[in-house]
Amino acid sequence: MTCPYPLDMPSLDTPSPVPAAENQGLPDGLPDFGSSSYKSAYSRINAIVIEGEQEAHDNYIALGTLLPNEAEELGRLARMELKHKKGFTACGANLGVEADMPFARDFFAPLRNNFQKALSEGKVVTCLLIQAILIEAFAISAYHIYIPVADPFARKITEGVVKDEYLHLNYGQEWLKANLDTIREEFEQANRDNLPLVRRMLDQVAGDAAVLQMEKEDLMADFLTSYQEALTEIGFTPREIARMAASALVG
Amino acid sequence: MFGLIGHSTSFESARQLAEQLGFPEYAQGDLEMWCSAPPQLVERFNVTSATGKTIEGAYIDSVFVPEMLSRFKTARRKVLNAMELAQKSGIDISALGGFTSIIFENFNLLKEQHIRNTTLKWELFTTGNTHTAWVICQQVENEAPRLGIDLRKATVAVVGATGDIGSAVCRWLSQRTGVAELLLVARQPQPLLDLQAELGGGRILALEEALPEADIVVWVASLPQGHTIDAGSLKRPCLMIDGGYPKNLDTKAAGEGIHVLKGGIVEFHTDIDWQTVAQAADMARPLRQMFACFAEAMLLDFENEHTNFSWGRNNIQLDRMDWIGAASRRHGFRALGLESETIPSLATA
Repeated sequence: MTCPYPLDMPSLDTPSPVPAAENQGLPDGLPDFGSSSYKSAYSRINAIVIEGEQEAHDNYIALGTLLPNEAEELGRLARMELKHKKGFTACGANLGVEADMPFARDFFAPLRNNFQKALSEGKVVTCLLIQAILIEAFAISAYHIYIPVADPFARKITEGVVKDEYLHLNYGQEWLKANLDTIREEFEQANRDNLPLVRRMLDQVAGDAAVLQMEKEDLMADFLTSYQEALTEIGFTPREIARMAASALVG
Repeated sequence: MFGLIGHSTSFESARQLAEQLGFPEYAQGDLEMWCSAPPQLVERFNVTSATGKTIEGAYIDSVFVPEMLSRFKTARRKVLNAMELAQKSGIDISALGGFTSIIFENFNLLKEQHIRNTTLKWELFTTGNTHTAWVICQQVENEAPRLGIDLRKATVAVVGATGDIGSAVCRWLSQRTGVAELLLVARQPQPLLDLQAELGGGRILALEEALPEADIVVWVASLPQGHTIDAGSLKRPCLMIDGGYPKNLDTKAAGEGIHVLKGGIVEFHTDIDWQTVAQAADMARPLRQMFACFAEAMLLDFENEHTNFSWGRNNIQLDRMDWIGAASRRHGFRALGLESETIPSLATA
């Protein structure tokens, strides 16, 4: 005889182990890569990635002008970004999708403007935060979320890219860590100015990302996890980190 | 270093805690914002054993709240991210507290070992269930005589008998205490039959049939919201050990002769200098009292036994309970008991 109540774990109304979104598309749970809705969404997401890699290249080259001693290393990082750009361009071609580059350039405008302004003012810390920490942390988390739901061709390319991006994140971390005593004020201001942009950018593409089975909540949560890890590596205290991360969630 | 992975008991209390800790952005954030928020290592503290040994611990708030239980992906991510943070923080052994171990087990997170670029090392984590089961058994053995219940003549119902803690409690009670009769209550028929065969006894009953027969009820599953207990049908005295999570029995069963004790709670020999844990936990003496599962992480660290001592389901053997129980006593923990004033015969003595 058994008890009618769900005694083993009564307070947990166990939901379906597979979220509804994962049931759409192909039988193996992946999206239908050939559908018009997928291709439409992919034209914007793919463009963002291609534009992001191009701007990353330009940004690392520009950083080399502020840090002439590091220009060679930065040039090496920049070349990797161009290689990524080629890979992602191939991903779009593989699916027969033309990337919507004007959309992507508009998409990056706020962050690009902030980077260019900091560059013109010689603000290395702000430039590094925008490119080497914030954008890299976002790229890493987005790529991690994309890999399990990508088409086989894009999956392979993205797996290679994500390993490189960790090197870029590490570059920014190490420089900022070595200069922690002098960067705090500028870093916190740059965080306040730029982290809220991430949420707005995410909101802008949440619908397209969902078609690719990448959920906004996952993207934001994983971005913040990567971002917090980077701040921990740099040497900020848990309290400082919690406050800085909050800028992405409110505001 | 040991770690405690926990969470607030409700969204409202989590927001209050954020306000007290000086995080107004979180205090004012809505549930959506909290769902995206990553785990936080909020506090480090030292703990000194009764033997004099001092160890360092950390409290990781998974930024999970029970209101997120219906969101499978959110709950899963909260638990895994908190574990990743513990691992990356260099913590040797962490206990999964509150709903985190329940989510881990019920959502089968054992198959989710890879998270981003991290491979979780299971040996760094413990459910703490061995210590919890031992403490609950101590509570039965210590408190029953205080109420005039002779265990050798007593009928003990274990509600949630087939779970990890429940099955361990059944093993201990049947082999170590000589209780007159054990009533086995759980949801699934086959695991109940398996348990009965393993124990070589025990009577399988439905909850409403078991309660009126029991002198002692050990709850290792909480009563579902909306369900009530017919207090009039209970024996007097009746000892109820509330070992489920969340602990809500005292609001469901009340009356003269009904004694509800928070199960699986221990009290340390001295105050611990923790602020956040004290504020997050719903304890009568928050600087000393804690969940036994948390204490297990401390005990493993005190003993330099950095391994997933409690892991998997229904693996808890009596020799392991003996070991953790001896460590518990040695380092200055004792099982929470009934307050004397709630026992009339003692209050007037």
